[in-house]
Amino acid sequence: MNVIIAEIKKSFKILLAYPVEIIFWIISPLLWAVPLVFQGKAIIGGLRSTAFGNIAGTEEFIPYVLIGAIVSTYMASSVWSMGFALRDETYYGTLEHILSAPVKPVQILLGKALFNSMLSTTYVIIQLLICILIFGLQFTFYKILPILFFLVLLIAGLYGIGFAAAGLTLLVKEAHGLLHLFEYVLFLFSPIRYPVEINPITRTISIFIPLTYALIALRGLLLNIEFDFWKNSLILLGIDLVIIPLGLYIFHWVEMHTKLKGTLSEY
Amino acid sequence: MANDIIIKELVKVFKKHHTEVRAVDSVSFEIREGELFGLLGPNGAGKTTLIKCISTLLIPDMGTAIVGGNDVLKEPISVRKKIGVLTGGERTLYWKLSAIDNLKYFAALYGVPSKQVKQRVDFLLELMGLKDRANENVEKFSSGMKQKLAIARALIHDPPILLIDEPTLGLDPYFARFIRHFVKEELSHKLKKTILLTTHYMDEADELCDRVAFMNRGKIEALDTPTALKKGMPQEQVLELKCLGDLNKNSFAELKEASGINILKKDGYVYIRINTGNPESLLSRLVDTIRDKAKVLSVNVTSPTLEDVFVYLTGASLKDTQDE
Repeated sequence: MNVIIAEIKKSFKILLAYPVEIIFWIISPLLWAVPLVFQGKAIIGGLRSTAFGNIAGTEEFIPYVLIGAIVSTYMASSVWSMGFALRDETYYGTLEHILSAPVKPVQILLGKALFNSMLSTTYVIIQLLICILIFGLQFTFYKILPILFFLVLLIAGLYGIGFAAAGLTLLVKEAHGLLHLFEYVLFLFSPIRYPVEINPITRTISIFIPLTYALIALRGLLLNIEFDFWKNSLILLGIDLVIIPLGLYIFHWVEMHTKLKGTLSEY
Repeated sequence: MANDIIIKELVKVFKKHHTEVRAVDSVSFEIREGELFGLLGPNGAGKTTLIKCISTLLIPDMGTAIVGGNDVLKEPISVRKKIGVLTGGERTLYWKLSAIDNLKYFAALYGVPSKQVKQRVDFLLELMGLKDRANENVEKFSSGMKQKLAIARALIHDPPILLIDEPTLGLDPYFARFIRHFVKEELSHKLKKTILLTTHYMDEADELCDRVAFMNRGKIEALDTPTALKKGMPQEQVLELKCLGDLNKNSFAELKEASGINILKKDGYVYIRINTGNPESLLSRLVDTIRDKAKVLSVNVTSPTLEDVFVYLTGASLKDTQDE
């Protein structure tokens, strides 16, 4: 536990050393939301669309997309921040020193993951406030516990993806292309920006992606769309139980591989 | 006295583009508890690779390494608890954190109990003379101060074994002298640490180490005390010429002693050192050989250094090989 807390404190102090980064975190949620709203208005000619409602289960296109974007904040955080967590240590020159400490690397990764989740949650709270105050998203506080429940299940699964991303970055070193590809695949095959029901292939593949179930549940709760609470939570839990050990296994395999090949601290 | 480090037939091979480099080639040695052991050799000799195998950062292809009674392959976490690692070079700390925050972070990583962290950090900052700068970001530190902090980091969990890799690399003479003195007097004599030190500065090893091993092209070429190694030279004298001009090994090709010549270039001068039993006779032949290529500024007859022994045993100069 000490390692995880120390990792969070360290990451926070390093973030504070770059004030421009903090300004970005405060301003960007607003800059992020406005184009989405304008895009929605331009496409459907207003705030509601019957055609869209027939596929998505809600006629409210803009809240639908905004919720998807909020969830994608956590996704981007796990793919990018976790992917580059150890890469940053290589740049600092500290990777070998933290990996020669008597702790399992997963403890360090977990610390980094929790720190990123805290940052993402701050970001999401600002996004939600913008959605509620500016774009009229209905939010009832009695739903906060089920929303948190699904968010925890989602974030746990994303940690699994993040562990794998951290490992793959150690392996390929320059991972921008790989991580972009990974992110775009998730965007394509989960209902972040559009209802995957629109296409039989995207609908089929989305079944295997945890984001799908989290989005169904969160949209159900926030937009009052009917959904099966237990079915979605059990599927999400089941995916987590597979994806977390798989992510850890990939990371461990890469760690051993780089130690064997001598490429651990290579740029 | 027990052995803290036991290396047996250790092999590490790197494969790149269909070529195979045996960076560590069947290396065996033992380091006694409390001993200051030097691993010497030029860049590319395999010293850093060996240290990385011992510190669990590399997985050896063959052989065993036992550190503090634990096998590096089977019990890596137990090994890491017993070692402190210090490497040369500036970028081994978090520059955007203060000295105190760096040490607190690594204290957590190395399992220092929470209640002891403040006391341990204060002690180490005091020991390294960094108490006044404890709250300053490391990026404001000089290279020497960063290396002092890196030493404090290596000692944060009070490990019995220290792996020190090129500790004075890139430091100015003042800090290099400080680090050498600290390693010998404080870490070795006072704190009784078992130390494996790698360096390509032979005078550093001569000054500090109880025993040294010469490493060249992945192999241990010789292992003994510095005094015994120097005594093992066939001749007890070294002829040294300080010259001005462009000289290299080929300049002495016609001399029968050519293979034992060590050429050092420093501050614009060329120093030629050669082990001999008859300096007078050699001097005239040497001067004849280089007459057209260089001007001899001074002539000296001295005792062999560790570097002379290294050149004699390996036929290689310390500057011969490529970087690791």
